[in-house]
Amino acid sequence: MPELQIRQAIRDAIKEEMERDDRVFILGEEVGHYNGAYKCTEGLLDQFGEKRVVDTPIVETGFSGVGIGAAMCGLRPIVEFMTFNFSAVAFDQILNNAAKIHHMTNGQFSCPIVFRGPNAAAHMLGSTHSQAFDAFYAHIPGLKVISVATAYDAKGLLKSAIRDPNPVIFFESEVMYAQRGEVPDEEYLIPIGEADIKRSGADVTLITWGQSVPTSLEAAKLAAEKDLDVEVIDLRTLRPLDEAAIIESVKKTNRAVVAYHGWPYGGVGAEIVDRIQRVAFDWLDAPVLRECYEDLNMPYAENLENIIIPSAERILSALEKVSYR
Amino acid sequence: MSTASNTPAPDQEALPATLAGASHEETLRMYREMLRIRRFEEVAARAYTRGKISGFLHLYIGQEAIAVGVSEAMKDGDRIVATYRDHGFALARGCEPNACMAELMGKATGIVGGVGGSMHFFDRDKGMWGGYAIVGNHIPVAAGHAFASKYKDEGAVTICFLGDGALGIGPTHEGMTLAGLWQLPIVYVVENNRYSMGTPLERTLPVKDVTVRAAGYNMEADRFTVTDPMQVRERLGEAIERARTENRPTLVEILTYRFRGHSMSDPAKYRAKGELEAFRSRDPLEVTKRALMELHGMSEEKLEALDDEIFEEMSAAETFADESPMPDPEFRFKHHYIEDESEAD
Amino acid sequence: MATIVELPRLSDTMEEGVVAAWRIAVGDKVKRGQVIAEIETDKATMEFESFDAGVVLKLVADTGAVLPIGAPIAVFGKEGEDPSEALAAHGGGASGGDKPAAPRDERAPAEVAKAESAEAAPAPAKAAPEKAAPAKAAPAKAAPQSSADERIPASPIARRLARESGLSLSQIQGSGPHGRVVKADVEAAAAGGSGQLAGGSFSSETDVFGRPYISREDQIAAPTLMRRTIAKRMVQSQQQIPHFYLTIEVEMNAAAKLRSELNASVDGTKVSFNDLVIAAAAAALRKHPECNVSWSEEGAVMHGDIDIGMAVAVEGGLVVPVIRNAEQKSLVALSRETRNLGKRAKDKKLDPKEMTGSSFSVSNLGMFGIDEFAAMVNPGEGAILAVGAVADGPAVREGELVIRKLMRATLSCDHRVIDGAMGAKFLATFKALLEQPMRLFAAG
Repeated sequence: MPELQIRQAIRDAIKEEMERDDRVFILGEEVGHYNGAYKCTEGLLDQFGEKRVVDTPIVETGFSGVGIGAAMCGLRPIVEFMTFNFSAVAFDQILNNAAKIHHMTNGQFSCPIVFRGPNAAAHMLGSTHSQAFDAFYAHIPGLKVISVATAYDAKGLLKSAIRDPNPVIFFESEVMYAQRGEVPDEEYLIPIGEADIKRSGADVTLITWGQSVPTSLEAAKLAAEKDLDVEVIDLRTLRPLDEAAIIESVKKTNRAVVAYHGWPYGGVGAEIVDRIQRVAFDWLDAPVLRECYEDLNMPYAENLENIIIPSAERILSALEKVSYR
Repeated sequence: MSTASNTPAPDQEALPATLAGASHEETLRMYREMLRIRRFEEVAARAYTRGKISGFLHLYIGQEAIAVGVSEAMKDGDRIVATYRDHGFALARGCEPNACMAELMGKATGIVGGVGGSMHFFDRDKGMWGGYAIVGNHIPVAAGHAFASKYKDEGAVTICFLGDGALGIGPTHEGMTLAGLWQLPIVYVVENNRYSMGTPLERTLPVKDVTVRAAGYNMEADRFTVTDPMQVRERLGEAIERARTENRPTLVEILTYRFRGHSMSDPAKYRAKGELEAFRSRDPLEVTKRALMELHGMSEEKLEALDDEIFEEMSAAETFADESPMPDPEFRFKHHYIEDESEAD
Repeated sequence: MATIVELPRLSDTMEEGVVAAWRIAVGDKVKRGQVIAEIETDKATMEFESFDAGVVLKLVADTGAVLPIGAPIAVFGKEGEDPSEALAAHGGGASGGDKPAAPRDERAPAEVAKAESAEAAPAPAKAAPEKAAPAKAAPAKAAPQSSADERIPASPIARRLARESGLSLSQIQGSGPHGRVVKADVEAAAAGGSGQLAGGSFSSETDVFGRPYISREDQIAAPTLMRRTIAKRMVQSQQQIPHFYLTIEVEMNAAAKLRSELNASVDGTKVSFNDLVIAAAAAALRKHPECNVSWSEEGAVMHGDIDIGMAVAVEGGLVVPVIRNAEQKSLVALSRETRNLGKRAKDKKLDPKEMTGSSFSVSNLGMFGIDEFAAMVNPGEGAILAVGAVADGPAVREGELVIRKLMRATLSCDHRVIDGAMGAKFLATFKALLEQPMRLFAAG
């Protein structure tokens, strides 16, 4: 099987869907002539032309709204945010228009649109460019929210997102665009809403997604050296949440840690902990712990940033704690 | 392009030329539509005072000529994207008063099943495309509709209405920037009713003439004080056809006046003394009525009979809405997600 | 007729208002949209534009008086018209004008009762808890200070495993933080037998884990009008009506077959067992008019019409809508009517007229799986038929034990007007009709 970078898997997904369906088009800053700020749209302008690969000025509210308006007319827009930090200025469009149109119009209109781009802290970008938007968007009824960590998942889930009749938020990671993984030549789709066990184990359940997936796998490896058998669940979709996969694993291991990029207060991790304690209370042998950002704005300085972002060591320590080691 | 004047005219000025040139039949048709909107809203206001309608109720009284005129200028497939002051547009587009009134009362028979209320009237097939309640956030969406029309080469025009109060907010600027940049088939119409909620435009707008912005967006411009629906049909008709045939966007400013407060709970104390009375004397509804009497020889009795008939229609809508069932409790789960692909589009 | 101008609700939170000033006077001609008054709301003083047109006949509201929303404040009409008729007809709204009490007498009896019960309700609700509270509150506060009450730290799964294997947590040494008993500790205890079975730790105040039983205080539900009516009428029934009861078993196989055939063959028809029961009871009453009777001081009232009351459970109680002339109605028509009445009863949309004047009642608890029960005779009637569920059961037919669909029906009778043999004959006819249900379609 060929090995592709995540950015290539994303590009292939867009390319294949644009070839398959001429209602699909992409718009955003630098997606065309520049070939994408992170090269996720490389070559698409040459293949599809300016009608379907649309460069925009720096107007996130404007082009998000245009995407929503076009989706309401039956087109299938992909809106690229150069980073999800910039989606904050388009938040009203996503919250009040994309997520609500189908409901507010009593089903007369739908909004099949994908908002995609890199999310969460990369490396030394300062507080305004290092934020994880998972909780903001997963909070909103009407949206689906996906966060991918491998080339295989990126391609299969982005294709599903583009075909989905609902508005979908699709989180990628700037620091992971170059990571390689096996992607089959033949077409495949990954259903939205299904978690994936990235490593199976018997002692502790480690629930994670996005940029924390490789860190969590690293922590699991360290734990194995200490004879602690960790099961790593990559959620892949944050809304709808694959609660069954989480509960099944927790009932097996009786212990859980949630590791993710994002603040703790009201975060997606808090939602997961709530579900575990509600549904699997009698199976727990220890309080569920979270490893995520510290409850702080992100500084630029490298050493400070490294403390705030959950590391493999921090995750390992939590795994040991819930295992009474 | 006429120079607009905001000074109210004395009573009994000469009838506008647009009315003088119109036939009896079309004058009566448009008068009837305007009167239907007015009486609908008055009955709705009465229902609000009786506690049957809650939440927000923004009335369009005084501005009806715009909704009726633009509707006359539209072709099948064209669509209106409006603000929360949307009842007039829906009725002008042929939406049923029963469904509209039921929506105001949150009933299952409402135009969107009771989930939207006053601010979210949608009827896709009739070209009534909302009904948006966050000031300015429909302006990029309307540009998106126009973008899709151009993308699909379908010849439909989007007419997007906004109030003078939406001119400062960001999405207005971003949406118009893209509409101008990409030369989309759209007409943006600013209904300048002189107040953004309770603040007069002198304290909210840096310029008096909103259409000076058109140059900055590479759009055509038009500006006029509304006198009657025929005039609106003619002026917006030009902009709509320009959008359709040349993909050329236009920014129109229509100077109008709302006779009621911003919403039902607004006493409108901010108006200058005599202002309301002066504008009432130029109420396009009354002006059109005068044309029917003076130019087409309709009797006061005939017009009163028409009024009574419409009042009955709207009172019947109130009864219909009142007697309609509330949505089923299970209905709250509907339409958050499309589970089945075939429901889309 | 003249038009009543009501005090408008001018904001979402407004509950009452004041006419601050009138802009019109009696005799003025008012147009729609004309400002007629200034209304003081909870938020502002607003000009009130008239929704109605006409000549001002009367200004009902005094300026400055606080009025509820919907109260009549003025009357418009034709020149010279008398406003009093319209005002009287308006009734319901609490008038704040010169005659506050006038319309009250003309309200429907139900409304009067409602208003009275609303006024009367607070008293018992307030008095009762004072009596009840101290007696019950005490045990909760006086939870015993035994060793069993000390909280043993244990993980949820450790608690569950201990409970399932009959081990006492107090006997297990916890290895987790702060001595928390964890899963591994319970498993070790179970394997090694170190955890004692929790004998001796039982007491009347705590469970096996030492957790005190929780006592909850009594709650008083203020009686609704419906609850008061039920209470009054049932006491009347039990105290004044000498009851006796007759029970009969009915085979429902033929009725069930008829029912499914009817429902399959007539579009939109959904005949229920209860409809069949009502139809059979009505037909049986036609044959035995001596059972369609009620007691009065003047003598037994032989009711001319067969009006069957149908008990319907609704939120907060039950109501008994009436099917008039039930014996003359086709099954399909009767079924449509019972469904309609049942639905509107549950929505509390029945007119009081639809719930009075029945001569006989049917109560059915079959849908709850009740086999049989005895109902209480509604005052004003002579008997009530209580039916249970239709269920498969053993029956003896020609000496063989067979399974049949069976239903038990109990007739409660007022012995002042119905004697045992009379009721028994009625029941025999009722049974025969249901066992050969084609007879329901035969005239006479």
